[in-house]
Amino acid sequence: MRFLRALLDHPSGRIGGGIVVLYLAVALLGAFGLTPHDPLMQFRLDRLHAPSTSYLMGTDLFGRDVASRLMQGVGQSFAVAFFSVAVATLAGTAIGLTAAWFGGIWDSVLMRLMDVLLAFPAILLALLIVTIVGPGTVTSVAAIGIVYTPIFTRVVRGPALSLRAREFVDAARTFGSSRFYILTRHLLLNLVAPLTVQVTLALAWSLLTEAGLSFLGLGTQPPAASLGLMLSDSRNLMESAPWLMVFPALVVMLSILGFNLLGDALRDILDPKTRRN
Amino acid sequence: MNRDSARKILSAAVMAATVGLAAFGTPAAAKDLRMAWSQDATGLDPQKQTAFSSLRLLELVYEPLVRLDADLKIVPAIAKSWEFSPDGTELTFELDPKATFQNGERVTSADVKASFERILDEATGAANRANYSSVASIETPDDETVVFKLSQPDVPILTAMTDTNSSILPASEIAAGNVGTKAVGSGPFMLEKWDPNSGEVLTANKDWAGGPTGVDGITISVLPDESAILAALRTGQIDFALLNDPLVATLVPKEANLQLNRAPVLAYHVLQLNPARAPMDKLEVRQAISCAVDRQAVLDTASLGEGKVTGPLTMPFYATDPNELFCYKRDVEKAKKLMADAGLADGFSATVIAATGEPPTAAAEAQVLQSQLAEIGINLDIKLMELNVYIDAWLAADFDMAVALNGGRPDPYTMYNRYFTNDGNLQKVSNFKDDTLDSLLQQGRAETDLDKRKTIFADFEKTLAEKSPWIWLYTSYGYTAQQKSVEGFVPTPTGSLFSLSKVTVE
Amino acid sequence: MNYLTRRLAAFPLVLLGVSVIVFVAIRLVPGDAITAMLGTEAGLLTPAQRAALAVYFGIDQPWPVQYGRWLIGLFQGDLGISVTYGRSVLGVILERFPRTLELALLSMVIAIAVGVPAGVFAATRNERMSDLAVRVAAMIGQSTPNFVVGLVIIYVLSTAFGVLPTMGAYIAFWDDPLRNLAQMILPAITLGLAFAASVTRVSRSAMLDVLNDDYVRTARAKGASQRSVVWRHALPNALIPVVTLSGIEFGYLLGGAVIVEQIFALPGLGRLVLEAIAQRDYALVQGSVLFIALNFMIVNLLVDLAYVALDPRIRLAGR
Repeated sequence: MRFLRALLDHPSGRIGGGIVVLYLAVALLGAFGLTPHDPLMQFRLDRLHAPSTSYLMGTDLFGRDVASRLMQGVGQSFAVAFFSVAVATLAGTAIGLTAAWFGGIWDSVLMRLMDVLLAFPAILLALLIVTIVGPGTVTSVAAIGIVYTPIFTRVVRGPALSLRAREFVDAARTFGSSRFYILTRHLLLNLVAPLTVQVTLALAWSLLTEAGLSFLGLGTQPPAASLGLMLSDSRNLMESAPWLMVFPALVVMLSILGFNLLGDALRDILDPKTRRN
Repeated sequence: MNRDSARKILSAAVMAATVGLAAFGTPAAAKDLRMAWSQDATGLDPQKQTAFSSLRLLELVYEPLVRLDADLKIVPAIAKSWEFSPDGTELTFELDPKATFQNGERVTSADVKASFERILDEATGAANRANYSSVASIETPDDETVVFKLSQPDVPILTAMTDTNSSILPASEIAAGNVGTKAVGSGPFMLEKWDPNSGEVLTANKDWAGGPTGVDGITISVLPDESAILAALRTGQIDFALLNDPLVATLVPKEANLQLNRAPVLAYHVLQLNPARAPMDKLEVRQAISCAVDRQAVLDTASLGEGKVTGPLTMPFYATDPNELFCYKRDVEKAKKLMADAGLADGFSATVIAATGEPPTAAAEAQVLQSQLAEIGINLDIKLMELNVYIDAWLAADFDMAVALNGGRPDPYTMYNRYFTNDGNLQKVSNFKDDTLDSLLQQGRAETDLDKRKTIFADFEKTLAEKSPWIWLYTSYGYTAQQKSVEGFVPTPTGSLFSLSKVTVE
Repeated sequence: MNYLTRRLAAFPLVLLGVSVIVFVAIRLVPGDAITAMLGTEAGLLTPAQRAALAVYFGIDQPWPVQYGRWLIGLFQGDLGISVTYGRSVLGVILERFPRTLELALLSMVIAIAVGVPAGVFAATRNERMSDLAVRVAAMIGQSTPNFVVGLVIIYVLSTAFGVLPTMGAYIAFWDDPLRNLAQMILPAITLGLAFAASVTRVSRSAMLDVLNDDYVRTARAKGASQRSVVWRHALPNALIPVVTLSGIEFGYLLGGAVIVEQIFALPGLGRLVLEAIAQRDYALVQGSVLFIALNFMIVNLLVDLAYVALDPRIRLAGR
């Protein structure tokens, strides 16, 4: 609760948090079908209409309401972002902890594996995975998750290693589980800050990558809407129907802004070094 | 940061900007044609390369025996005249004595024979070998005469020879194994430089038998993004461009100094059904789909109306008026009744595959079709795939339905024998054997009288539309955009850019 | 230099891992070089024709044999022949690499030249309007997808100003430096925007940290001027995280900015790999991915070394 208040006190926290909550609300509305029009409904007579009272953000090539599609798109893109980052966090934490805790050959092998993944250019790795398995939401989640895992591994391994180096590791072994419990608490406390910050950065990056993959035709499948797909579809219509690019671009920018602001606020609050009075 | 340093930075920035702007490209005034396209050729062997972009490059460097003009009539190229024997089993060509290769050698019958033997040799891997199954032997009575002896009358073989894939290569280059690494043809331009996916430089062939070319050379740039091509045209950086996307092409006429050339092409947009998969094996289901689809709406949405609804045959001489074909006017009631007759009143689910960007309208077509078929209870799941992945699935017939843009040909037999003769090479893709269609195609192959051919193929087209193994949608336009200062370009239904040989730039 | 040797010793292992992954991955993708060349016409081939083309493309052997041959070639410095270019893979890569390198360098220069001053400025004006303005601008810069920036730039330039740098026909720096820069400046700005935004934020927060540190307060207490405090005492230490960040981003850019290269028609490494994958040019895909991975690892190593060298606390504390 104290944490929440600290977040609300921080200006970036207020704005960032507010944006994220707003988006979550929009995503939920979209998921429950509470949009101005059916996002998939093609109003054939109203194709490529500029924004008007009936279509607040205009219509696209098929006569679908842009505003409704954006609401659904937010849900889609956020789902991909959240799940892929969840995958990366869980996998990265597991691998990082294993490597740090068991050390020796485990550490070498696992970290070399992570190095291999890291050395791969991110978008190309995602591209290869998607091309092999076939595009779709699940593949996008898996691809982005895999690409981001090495970074989480590194984030987790650092604090875990330094903790392991401390004396009372051996002490914990002699004194039993109560020491182990304190150890884990220390570990989690040290991990929360960098992990949280990394998660918000990863969420932002994941949104951008999803947009990039859709731009190359490998992201979300039509007719489902995703922010990246809407941007990519608007490419060749940019001159005749600019609203098709402007609104999705603004929505993407705002959401990434929200995550970044939230990340900043979280870092300020959680990281003891940057705590201000 | 104080005012002094700010001022210094500002003046430096202004200077940099001025210098920068001066360095930006300005239109050049030369007798060179500057051209751009979004997809580059993928290789230099004219007998192996089948990609549209490869053919567009190679047709300027190599020549076949005969070619097609803008009205799809067969006109001389390397051969100045030709004749079928009365029984149709011999085809004799008289070569143009002025035809010369770009290495100085004259084109002789030995070169023609060597070129065709290379096509027929399985080790070459020439896809159009399938068109020459009737060639029994090739004779060269003298330097300027070639006789093709056929095992059966085969009228379409002449049309097949207009293909760039049947270009004549120098026998010496074939023997040296240089085809594919060096480009030595007899055509209007020589390939001076090729940087794959980046650009190429062509220079005029002074010894070309077709006379002087209009420009001294062509410089081609590969710009993968078509809106960038439009921007380059707008700023006068390029004179001529090949465009694929109707969404970009339709913006060209809005520019005062640009001109859009539109020509209907032979390629057709189609929804291929897979009759090997239930319930598409039922005639009623396929016909229901044909009746439920509003072809004009697909055309209007996906291609902004740029094109024409078509039946299976797209060449003007043989094409039937679509209004005479089965269910070309949308009839949802009839469709529902057909579905009920098939016992599928509740509809069914299926997957439709489409390639990303090939054509650019594929995804849009799939989405319109999806919404139209939903009205008769057919729930389509769209699977967009990268082009090669799509081709792989297409060749294996691993699909329920597929949105495709298939190449058209000037002769109905060569256009469809691969799919709808009982032993066609692509039967495994169409999965549709029908004796009526097979016999009509075989009749058309042997028939030399044009009017009789027309009747046979009209019959073929009507039957095809009725049996509906595929749903033919529309033909779109082939687009080229140019500065108004470019004169003499003639678009053709095959999409050929050959008239660039006579084009001039003011 | 135990650390350095240990890191270098890991290189061959990691590169081997990368090569295996890319070798298998590109062959798992449906479609091969034959369908890439012939498209749907590949269906017209007879089995004998197919076999002949498979030999031509070098895909007739089982995978371990293909990999073994490739590996042996690699040890001899031969990355194979590209079937689309008809030339050695290494030659094609080395031809394209300088362009990606130049683009990455230009982007980094722009990012640092804009980002560091902006970040420092914002830090010295902490919590005031100008600070907020810079932070918001940086946020926006980081949040915009780079292809949106690129497309908008091209559109605005060509319609509003009627100018556009020559696209497609790449002009090398030594041939004509001015026209080369004109070609590169727009994609560099497109990439540099997000890069500059990150640099701004990092320099700002690093600067803020450092301005509150003991030795800076000591310097102030001793009477040093504000300017000297900022530029001479604080900045060098604040630059450490900036160096780290720039190095990492530079490493990413060396992998080729695929989308930006496509939009601006720059023949760089990113496009090279994308097109090679599309055309199933196996040798080229393997060679270029390996090359990019190697670059990335070298840059990472340099960044880590620089970090150790620059940060006095780490140096003094030992590893």
